[in-house]
Amino acid sequence: MSLLSKLARRWRAAVRRHSYSFFSSLGALMSHRVGTLMTVLVLGIAMLLPLGLHLTLVNLDRMDLREEQWGALSVFLTPGAQEPQVIELATEIESLDAVSGVEAVSPEQGLAEFRETSGFGAVDLLGDNPLPWVLSITPTPGEGLEQRVGALSEALLGRGLVERVDYDRKWLQRLGHMLDLGHAAVTVLVLLFGVAVVVVVANTIRLDVAARAEEIEVLSLVGAWPAFIRQPFLYSGFWYGLLGGVMAMVLVNLGLEYLDRPLARLLASYGHEAPLVGLGLGQTLGLLLAGAVLGLAGAWVAVQRHLRQLRVGGTLGKR
Amino acid sequence: MIRFDRVSKRYPGGVSALRELSFEIARGEMVFLTGHSGAGKSTLLRLLLMLERATRGQVVLDGRNLTQTADRHAPAVRQGVGMIFQDHKLLADKTVFDNVAVPLMIAGHRYAEIRKRVRGALKMVGLEDRERAWPLALSGGEQQRVGVARAVVGMPPVLLADEPTGNLDPDLSRELFDLFRTLNQRGMTVLIASHDLDLVRRMKQRVLVLSKGALVDDLVAGSAGP
Repeated sequence: MSLLSKLARRWRAAVRRHSYSFFSSLGALMSHRVGTLMTVLVLGIAMLLPLGLHLTLVNLDRMDLREEQWGALSVFLTPGAQEPQVIELATEIESLDAVSGVEAVSPEQGLAEFRETSGFGAVDLLGDNPLPWVLSITPTPGEGLEQRVGALSEALLGRGLVERVDYDRKWLQRLGHMLDLGHAAVTVLVLLFGVAVVVVVANTIRLDVAARAEEIEVLSLVGAWPAFIRQPFLYSGFWYGLLGGVMAMVLVNLGLEYLDRPLARLLASYGHEAPLVGLGLGQTLGLLLAGAVLGLAGAWVAVQRHLRQLRVGGTLGKR
Repeated sequence: MIRFDRVSKRYPGGVSALRELSFEIARGEMVFLTGHSGAGKSTLLRLLLMLERATRGQVVLDGRNLTQTADRHAPAVRQGVGMIFQDHKLLADKTVFDNVAVPLMIAGHRYAEIRKRVRGALKMVGLEDRERAWPLALSGGEQQRVGVARAVVGMPPVLLADEPTGNLDPDLSRELFDLFRTLNQRGMTVLIASHDLDLVRRMKQRVLVLSKGALVDDLVAGSAGP
């Protein structure tokens, strides 16, 4: 027999052994459905927590909370300001370095917008329009925006026509920091719960190894290679991780389904209509892959540690 | 086929299980190993399965010096030996078929090949109609025959048995020994450790008698027996 055909024969035998271990490990999991379901549920919840926070942040990011738009200053002019004066002031302000755009909103436009967004028809009962001219100023984005917007606000307040300047930069900064904190928390949670998945799988496999000590001994006595003995446990870890990922995916989608309507109503009141986004194909595959890899890692830890402790052949007659 | 050359085995703590043991078993021979409990029969078999290491001397199996063979090669050594245990060592959560198939799965055979060989082995031990049964549903004699089928399904050149009739009644023991003789007649080298002297005598085969770890007698086939 040539070396090539020997290698091919060995390769085919190895594939058959893997295939046997792959399916027998799945069969072993299915034969203890309740126990398997509980483990998978624990793993799913462990994966759900960072995943849920991640999706929350992704959805918050999608809600048009970008600094450039929300960082605008609203400059309320004194009542009775005339259009030419307002235009002149707007042009003057627009020429400043700290400003990237100015939009002048007349009292009539303001009233129309108010009527449309509030649905409050009683404003028509008012004799005079009480709203002033408003300049909506978009500051130039970049470093130190908060300070520059503060300085701009101070400068504008000193001008004759300006009565009040509002800006929600501080709130935005806080929101931005909270989002940053959220992203950092996701990273920490991914690490922590990744370790949790490894530990849960390792412990489950450890118990499995202990429960199958007799089988391991028999396999070893009839000539099984250590790799053959390890394989079913490693594949069990793989299945646990993969099924944990599937469970996390199901829980996330159930959660999104449950939260979708009330959240959509809340967002609609803020003028947002974007539906909640769930996991895309790439993220789903990533989740399943991560689950499988973590499960495999947990099984590896358990198998390396506990298989060595089993002494094979201990019951072969008396010494 | 099997050669022990001045083999001694001393366990930690100073217990001497084998002392200067020397003998040779030719290919195709059937040999009984007998002696009182603690005589060293099981230790001798453990050395052949590489479950223990000789403290001194050389153990050679099918041309391979086991005293110089690395632990990582122990599975290959065990694959070349069919082993029958007193307590059968069957897997309770696998069917008779799956138990017998284990050595073939380890070797990575095709399923069609496994099916053919397992059915052949079960037929040989008279259990062809019990392949779907669970071990615990079988009698002690049937369980031992499953153990024999598992030991021979891979057609190893050597068959070792450690007190295979320990839990069987005299009729079943005789049947089992007849089965060993049939396997031997098919070319398998058979070494059976047993303290059932009546049966051993009746088989009229070569007998190695151990006492306190030393070989005290080597009776040739057909002699009066121990």
